[in-house]
Amino acid sequence: MVNLIRKDIRLGVHPLFLIMPLLTGALMFIPGWIYFIVILYFCWITIPNMFNQLRSQNDLMFTSMMPVTKRDIVKARIFVIAGLELAHVVVALVFGLISQRLYPDLTYVFFPPNLGFFGLCLAMLAIFNLVFIPMYYKTAYKFGMALLASTVAATLFAGITQWVGIAHSGMNRIFYGTEANSVALQAFILIAGIVIFLAITALAYRIAVKRFLQVEIQ
Amino acid sequence: MQALDIRNVNKKFPSFELKDVSFQLEKGYIMGFIGVNGAGKTTTIKSILNMTHIDSGEIHILGKSMAEHELELKQEIGFAFGSIDFYTRSKIKTLTDTIKKFYQNWDDQIYSNYMRRFKLDENKKIADLSTGMKVKYSLALALSHGAKLLILDEPTSGLDPASRDDLLDLFQELIAEGEVSILFSTHITSDLEKCADFITFIANGQIVLSGEKEEFKEAYLLVNGSKSQLEQVKDQMISYKTNSFGFTGLIQANDFDPSSGIKAATPSLEDILIYYTKKGENIHG
Repeated sequence: MVNLIRKDIRLGVHPLFLIMPLLTGALMFIPGWIYFIVILYFCWITIPNMFNQLRSQNDLMFTSMMPVTKRDIVKARIFVIAGLELAHVVVALVFGLISQRLYPDLTYVFFPPNLGFFGLCLAMLAIFNLVFIPMYYKTAYKFGMALLASTVAATLFAGITQWVGIAHSGMNRIFYGTEANSVALQAFILIAGIVIFLAITALAYRIAVKRFLQVEIQ
Repeated sequence: MQALDIRNVNKKFPSFELKDVSFQLEKGYIMGFIGVNGAGKTTTIKSILNMTHIDSGEIHILGKSMAEHELELKQEIGFAFGSIDFYTRSKIKTLTDTIKKFYQNWDDQIYSNYMRRFKLDENKKIADLSTGMKVKYSLALALSHGAKLLILDEPTSGLDPASRDDLLDLFQELIAEGEVSILFSTHITSDLEKCADFITFIANGQIVLSGEKEEFKEAYLLVNGSKSQLEQVKDQMISYKTNSFGFTGLIQANDFDPSSGIKAATPSLEDILIYYTKKGENIHG
């Protein structure tokens, strides 16, 4: 398993995408921006490039010839995806908290980069994983439709929650509030986000393995 | 011991079918796996490597069932796919460093010996290697992890005659000690004339014949004669070509009557391959 993760990082994922969390994370310093986009860049840029590279370099065939189980092939890939996602979230979170200190008097139209917002980001990535990973592992090389469906799902989630956050006064208080009990609630939402992310990604893994076991390696 | 034992493998695809594929390769020998493009060579190889789900049948490698001991056996199998490249933009060094971690018996000393012998520069990218060099690199990898069975899919296709000859000499050298066995598929039959001990011939997803090379050739006769003679043997022929002088065709040796006066000779592997492929159709040349 560790060998497979090492293989993906050394051969499959271009080094640019390993520092991408820092590059997109820096966008957190744009005051009052739609910060969901910072995380969505992972789905829009990193995933298609990474999977295109894997396909053009015949990774599936290459990996299948190594002494590894099909289960581990899927597990390792999901570790790489989830690892990169978490790197994006962690960097964005740190930069986001700095950004809030930099602009203390800013009135946020879109979600401010607080802990609660990052809970929503994790839920968004969980949705992305749940759609993308099982769809991709039907063939383990075609990713176009899987990417389209999963990005649409994640973007819709972002759009709808943002709209609710603006339009609904209760939700607005929870996600925009700066007083102590709002902050505590936001921390709780982040924890819930982490749990949802891990549980849903694990579910995506289980479905993906079942499908991948049926795949004929081309 | 059998290095490779394939019994009654069946696999149905929408447009193609492997039917009851069986053959055995004795340890320490080279088996040529021949057939025209699309005959089922690569599908069979993928079935051996468990990359395709077979519908029925059994595959044993080095005495163990592939279905039950896949991981353990993959440690002992080396492979080279002549027509498929992996990670061509990476340097040899990077690729080797990644691959070697997967193998318990990896030996750096053996690896550097082969790299020197094959004149492979570790700092080159895979894309910069010639076809022959790529096959040699795959062999260096396989031998460095102590592979006992080498499965090579068309390793000589696309090579110039000198590189082919060089590679075939290498195959013979590898099996000399009796530990390594080689199954290699090809449609270049002259390669097999030079180095194979056994031949397995596949056509339309079915094994036509599998056996020792000379016996294999002796099982058939290449016959030629006049048009009137053709009428005598027409029904027994596997296939034949006619021309203004008469006909040439392939027949099974035990269907041939030596007293018929028709000229007969031992066919080359290429003759067998060509006439078998034309089975069922008459060729007018």
